Amino acid sequence: MNDSGCIHLNNFKAAKGTNPYKIVHAFFVSCTSYEARRYKATSCLCFACGQTGPRMHSCLHCIYFACYGGHVLDHSKTKKHFLYVDLSYGNIFCAQCQDYIYDREFTDISRTLRLKEAKSLGISVPFTPWLPNNNEAMALRRLRKRRLISPHTTIGLRGLQNLGSTCFMNCIVQTLIHTPLLRDYFLGEKHKCKTQGSGKCLVCEVSKLFQEFYSGAKTPLTLHRLLHLIWTHARHLAGYEQQDAHEFFIATLDVLHRHCMNGVEDTEKKENGRCNCIIDQIFTGGLQSDVVCTSCSGVSTTIDPFWDISLDVAGPGSLQACLERFTRAEHLGSAAKIKCSNCRAYRESTKQLTLETLPIVASFHLKRFEHSSQIDRKISAFVSFPAELDMTPFMSTHRRAVDAADNNNAPEGIFEDNRYSLFAVVNHLGSLDAGHYTAYVRQMKGSWFKCDDHMITRASLREVLDSEGYLLFYHKTVLEYECEVS
Amino acid sequence: MTVNSTIAHQRLILSGDRERFKELLRRRLIECGWRDQVRMLCREVVKENEGNNVTFDLLLTRVTPQARALVPDSVKKELLLKLKTHLLTQKDQ
Ligand SMILES: [Zn+2]
Ligand SMILES: [Zn+2]
Ligand SMILES: [Zn+2]
Ligand SMILES: [Zn+2]
Ligand SMILES: [Zn+2]
Ligand SMILES: [Zn+2]
Repeated sequence: MNDSGCIHLNNFKAAKGTNPYKIVHAFFVSCTSYEARRYKATSCLCFACGQTGPRMHSCLHCIYFACYGGHVLDHSKTKKHFLYVDLSYGNIFCAQCQDYIYDREFTDISRTLRLKEAKSLGISVPFTPWLPNNNEAMALRRLRKRRLISPHTTIGLRGLQNLGSTCFMNCIVQTLIHTPLLRDYFLGEKHKCKTQGSGKCLVCEVSKLFQEFYSGAKTPLTLHRLLHLIWTHARHLAGYEQQDAHEFFIATLDVLHRHCMNGVEDTEKKENGRCNCIIDQIFTGGLQSDVVCTSCSGVSTTIDPFWDISLDVAGPGSLQACLERFTRAEHLGSAAKIKCSNCRAYRESTKQLTLETLPIVASFHLKRFEHSSQIDRKISAFVSFPAELDMTPFMSTHRRAVDAADNNNAPEGIFEDNRYSLFAVVNHLGSLDAGHYTAYVRQMKGSWFKCDDHMITRASLREVLDSEGYLLFYHKTVLEYECEVS
Repeated sequence: MTVNSTIAHQRLILSGDRERFKELLRRRLIECGWRDQVRMLCREVVKENEGNNVTFDLLLTRVTPQARALVPDSVKKELLLKLKTHLLTQKDQ
């Protein structure tokens, strides 16, 4: 099967061009306006039998609607019209060739109109797999070496030497290396550096690190260059004593984000001033805070970006319970009055935090370390966390719908997909001052490994879920894509 | 189709929700591996008929019964439930 159509279609195109196809498609296949949807809803009936199917087609010559249950054939015999557009998919049927035919130009038109329709309805665009262009196809042919990824592959797994209490760094590096979208970004060599080879760019260093992890070598790596770079850019972390893995995680994201900004990527900054670097694209979400005045019910809303969510560990419980508590409305009491702009006075109020936008990677920090003037202690209470997490209950839109339960709007979330899958867990073992960090990472779907500095061992999902959990990393299960239609 | 179901159908198209449900179904079928299974079924039919011209209609008649049976119950259930909820809430307005 080729994509250069058939002689009948080519003759038709030579005489009438592509406009008839465009019109039929835009009105009855991919409706790009309300007007078009009205036409489609009311008039897609077979002109012969009045039914809506099976498989409605439109004659490309005279826009006669006919079902595939025989009336397409009838029309082609009586009128000698041979080309039909399938109204569900936009494919072209040629009654003379007695099959569907593929034409590159029509395929392109169809794709563009589909994207326009998706955009007009706010539907995320289906993922289109990568197709090599001519240069890439040639390069692939030249490079004969192939690596087959089997279910038992250990690709991407490498231990990291402990340089003296650097396990806090090792476990974060293991997590970042196994963050699916970050891996795709770096292995796709998407970082175009401005500081070419200066040796000072942390993004370049991480890029090299990804190459090392996926080179196929198995000996443990040493991260002193990376450590040195982070120390020079985040002075508060310098020194060889044990550090907090959570603090290191946030500091690393910050340095990476700043180095992305100085690179070429700063031209990609969004108009609204929000950074669009790869770190922010993957890790940034929006936290909404609603403060409601108890006197006048006036609401003041602010939205702040976040890279992770720190959750209190009150006692044994679950991650979902922690999130439920985190997003619950809280009465601020008489000791914490806030000035209400409506009442022009200090009033008691309630405050509620919800998630306005979700990041692609949702990172949770269980606050197991308690530091106060009297005592520093670790809370080892068991907090269960799921392999699959639905974030819908903690979203601002959902909370609003629940609070206004009397409205009769369509229930939220029918088309929303806020499911997340666990892909990394960082654990702190031992006591506060003599502790050790390890990480569990998901290498492939259903394939978990424990990273304990230079040692990598296979782990079961059960083992991961039974672990204590200090930092939990979830990746969006289904990615949504924005469309770019001119 | 009865008059009522015709109206429901038209409403779904008009609001764009029919496309939204289609997209949801498409995603679920990809997620659960159904699309890959059907692709393999199609390949088998093409291989069996090597040398002959395999038309769309031939593929359709050969693959449809098996493909229908392969749709997981969980997917059918989810779609049915969501459609039902959706249509019921629409009715009230
Ligand atoms: Zn005609
Ligand atoms: Zn008919
Ligand atoms: Zn033809
Ligand atoms: Zn760089
Ligand atoms: Zn950034
Ligand atoms: Zn007030």
